[in-house]
Amino acid sequence: MQKGVENKGKYNFRNNITIDWCPGCGDFGIVSAVTQALSNMNMDPDDVVAVSGIGCSGKTPHYLNIAGVHTLHGRAIPYAVGVKLSNPNLNVLVMGGDGDLLSIGAGHFVGEGRRNSGVKVILYNNSVYGLTKGQAAPTLPLGEKVKSLARPNIMGKINPITLAMASGYSFVARAFSSEIKQLSSIIERAIKHEGSAVIEVLQPCPTYNDVNTLDWYRQRVYKLEDDKSWDPVVNKKEEDEEKFDTGYRKSLEWGDHIPIGIFYENNTIPSYTNRLAGIVPDYLKYPPALQDVSDKDGYTIVDPIKTFEEKDIE
Amino acid sequence: MQETDINLLVGGPQGGGIDSAANMISMAFSLAGYNIYGIREFHSNIKGRHSYIHFRIMHERPKSLKYPVDIMVALDPDTLFEHMFDVAQGSKVVYDSAFNTFNLKNARMITSDTMTRIQDELAERNLTFDVKGVLDYFKSAGIDVIAIPFDKLINENVHDGPANRYYNTLGAGTTLALLGLDEDHADDGIKFAFKKKPKVIESNIKVIKAAYDYVKTSPIKVATLPTYPATPRMLLTGNDATALGKLMGGLRFQTYYPITPASDESTLLESHEEMKFLKNADDVVKKAGLVVVQCEDELSAINMANGAALTGTRSATATSGPGFSLMAEGIGYAGMTEIPVVITFYQRGGPSTGLPTRNGQADLLFALNTGHGEFPKMVISSGDMEECIYDGMKSLNYAQRYQMPVIHLIDKTLANTMDLVPEIDVKKVKIVKYNENTNHENFKRYSLDTENGISPYGVFGKDIFWMTGDEHDELGHVTEDSAMRDKMMEKRMQKLVTADKEIPLEDKAVLYGDENADITYVTWGSQKSLLLDTISELKKQGISANLLYLRMFEPFPSEYVAKVLKNSHLIIDVESNMTGQAAKVIRMNTGVNIENFILKYNGRHITLDEVLRSTKNIMEKKTALEVLQEGS
Ligand SMILES: Cc1ncc(C[n+]2csc(CCOP(=O)(O)OP(=O)(O)O)c2C)c(N)n1
Ligand code: SF4
Repeated sequence: MQKGVENKGKYNFRNNITIDWCPGCGDFGIVSAVTQALSNMNMDPDDVVAVSGIGCSGKTPHYLNIAGVHTLHGRAIPYAVGVKLSNPNLNVLVMGGDGDLLSIGAGHFVGEGRRNSGVKVILYNNSVYGLTKGQAAPTLPLGEKVKSLARPNIMGKINPITLAMASGYSFVARAFSSEIKQLSSIIERAIKHEGSAVIEVLQPCPTYNDVNTLDWYRQRVYKLEDDKSWDPVVNKKEEDEEKFDTGYRKSLEWGDHIPIGIFYENNTIPSYTNRLAGIVPDYLKYPPALQDVSDKDGYTIVDPIKTFEEKDIE
Repeated sequence: MQETDINLLVGGPQGGGIDSAANMISMAFSLAGYNIYGIREFHSNIKGRHSYIHFRIMHERPKSLKYPVDIMVALDPDTLFEHMFDVAQGSKVVYDSAFNTFNLKNARMITSDTMTRIQDELAERNLTFDVKGVLDYFKSAGIDVIAIPFDKLINENVHDGPANRYYNTLGAGTTLALLGLDEDHADDGIKFAFKKKPKVIESNIKVIKAAYDYVKTSPIKVATLPTYPATPRMLLTGNDATALGKLMGGLRFQTYYPITPASDESTLLESHEEMKFLKNADDVVKKAGLVVVQCEDELSAINMANGAALTGTRSATATSGPGFSLMAEGIGYAGMTEIPVVITFYQRGGPSTGLPTRNGQADLLFALNTGHGEFPKMVISSGDMEECIYDGMKSLNYAQRYQMPVIHLIDKTLANTMDLVPEIDVKKVKIVKYNENTNHENFKRYSLDTENGISPYGVFGKDIFWMTGDEHDELGHVTEDSAMRDKMMEKRMQKLVTADKEIPLEDKAVLYGDENADITYVTWGSQKSLLLDTISELKKQGISANLLYLRMFEPFPSEYVAKVLKNSHLIIDVESNMTGQAAKVIRMNTGVNIENFILKYNGRHITLDEVLRSTKNIMEKKTALEVLQEGS
């Protein structure tokens, strides 16, 4: 692949691997939005890494022409954070299902809010476990009965937006997989944002979720930005309380009207990478990935005596 | 002249300054030209419960510990009860005279099981259930009991803070005085131990003086101890040594979730994130830094380390049993996707949370079998400080060279052993880099075009490739093709064959001692040095013994081990577990069946006298299995 070409849309971010999602799956829209965003931003493919978990959603990196890691069920976030912290120059996208990120990976989802390392989490929300054939996912409401459930769902649901906000993510948004333009612009904004982002994407699963269908969503979603007074961005610490409160209240709206768009963006919280830069000198210039570990003869550059000066005896 | 050989035990409440006392004593002796070898034992508790340090002091470097000790210092009454049988005729016991009236039932900090056990022991001897009972026992056994008026001596000499603040210094000072070490060395020890708190040095020196004066004016007979010129050394624990080795080996990313006894390594690395100690730093990078991440759990720790490795960073994590259990999944992933990652595995007493702060070597088979399915992983083990350092470096090298998870086993005893380490050879281990990818156009991360199984490594930021924990093709895309599956399995496993060929024998197994001996010990981990001492001790008694010491369990040096053991007469396996796991590995790999065992699984370190005694029993065919029980 050629590098250094400035033209917009020069790189094809979709490769030639056959996609094996069911026809009509919302995941197709997500892939389109991701490739559009990367292309619009004229990203160098070498600078982006896609990290996924397990599930239908987990297959996404294989379809993208960027370095991709299809990790373990629930573990995409820690993996992505490892990539990001060892080389903060990379743009790291996390792609996981609601089962992946909010059930088996819930601890990591919350942990990353505290870290705010700078990874961008795209949460594929179809309210079911697609790849294991339609069991209830953590976003499926109590009492709801989708196709493959033997009885109505016996557990309550998690609201990914409120959870993301409560966990400390500094960029929290929701999109709909058929609103590709809005989704791709949210992805762009998230990538430009310094801290970590969560983008919940409502994604129809025509195979297993016969309640939240494409039409069901189409009739309900509306864009937050259509209200000209909507301003979720915190640029000064003083604005935080009010904007957090407004975004949080908005996130509780569900049913006949479902808001999509950015709920909260806080630019005043330093990212983990910036916090590290305050501890480790030159961290951003020479992150772990770009340091030499030996001298020209291949020997260690660490001086053992100097390392533990407090521990030697003479 | 008889070589000085002092075994010493200092016990007191957890959090009561035992560590400072230990540091001070070690420093004082090392400045007087001695070597120290010590182990720290403590309860899973922060303050109050019984803890102690078991030391051995010699001019030559000691490698093991002995019971009974020559001198025991009790900073609390619990120590007298708990260590009743760790002293014997000729030993000295130093304690606070205030303990005289102390009753066993008031020893809140002794656990009820231990209390019952001590009561039974006292009852059996018709002794009262109090300090007086224990002291009576000591006197009847020919042990010198030395009561020191702690509060009085302290209050007469220092006036800042409560007297108990100085118990540790007074205890240490009295010990040094009784052993006949020059007072100046004791002062230097204090200065060193409190280097970071210079304000308290002065009053501590007064306490030392009080201790020395008291001993001088008392009728206790004290011989002067010879001193030697001090040589440069570092006082390291196994945790320190491993951290140092990993740093020297180029570690730049470490993850962890707090757990005993592994956290100390990461905490130490954390305090060195700003790497100010590089040689010729300017030639390399202006400034270099290490990133240490405290994760939300061990699942995160292993996967985050895996992720970091994909940018070309040398990365590692450290944990112990419960955390390792959670890491199994991520280790399997690293095996399948060929990620160079190091897992430093500090074993402690299991199963489950078991004995959180006590020793164990029961995770060997677990480490070997971790993860589902079959994948290449390397399992190495260290047995002393130098090995911790060089194996720390090598583990990172092996991971880079063979692109697989490397599990580095250390046990709690070694992690908490204190040892004076002479110079470290920075040229002993050369830094090995991964096999770089040169074909950026159509990069096959899992290229099958390799005989040794090692494909070129890809680095995010430079190379575009895919990875999946599913079976995959050369590009890293999911496949279920039956022929590709076979080829990939074979390619991955080939790396173990390559590693076995490339790694020198001395890094896998070593035979110490005469090739032809009456007894062959087999061991691994922290018992290495103990058995080396055992061999020399037996030699003095006219018994020839050697030691087959195991360092690498995967790939396993089957041929060599089989050869050694086939020529052995009496093989004794010594381990800190109940089922003789290393012996099982040997049997599995070589067919050789070891029949004699010295095992310990009460969570305490094995001592020299225990092995010698058990060996005699086995030699006299009294038993084939000796289970060791000493330790408090
Ligand atoms: C540790 C572990 N447990 C269970 C599974 C089985 N599994 C595969 S996909 C999946 C569910 C994925 O659901 P979700 O994250 O909602 O993604 P979707 O398939 O709906 O995109 C599960 C449980 C697994 N691969 N690993
Ligand atoms: S099962 Fe559902 S989520 Fe999975 S590919 Fe099919 S439609 Fe998409």
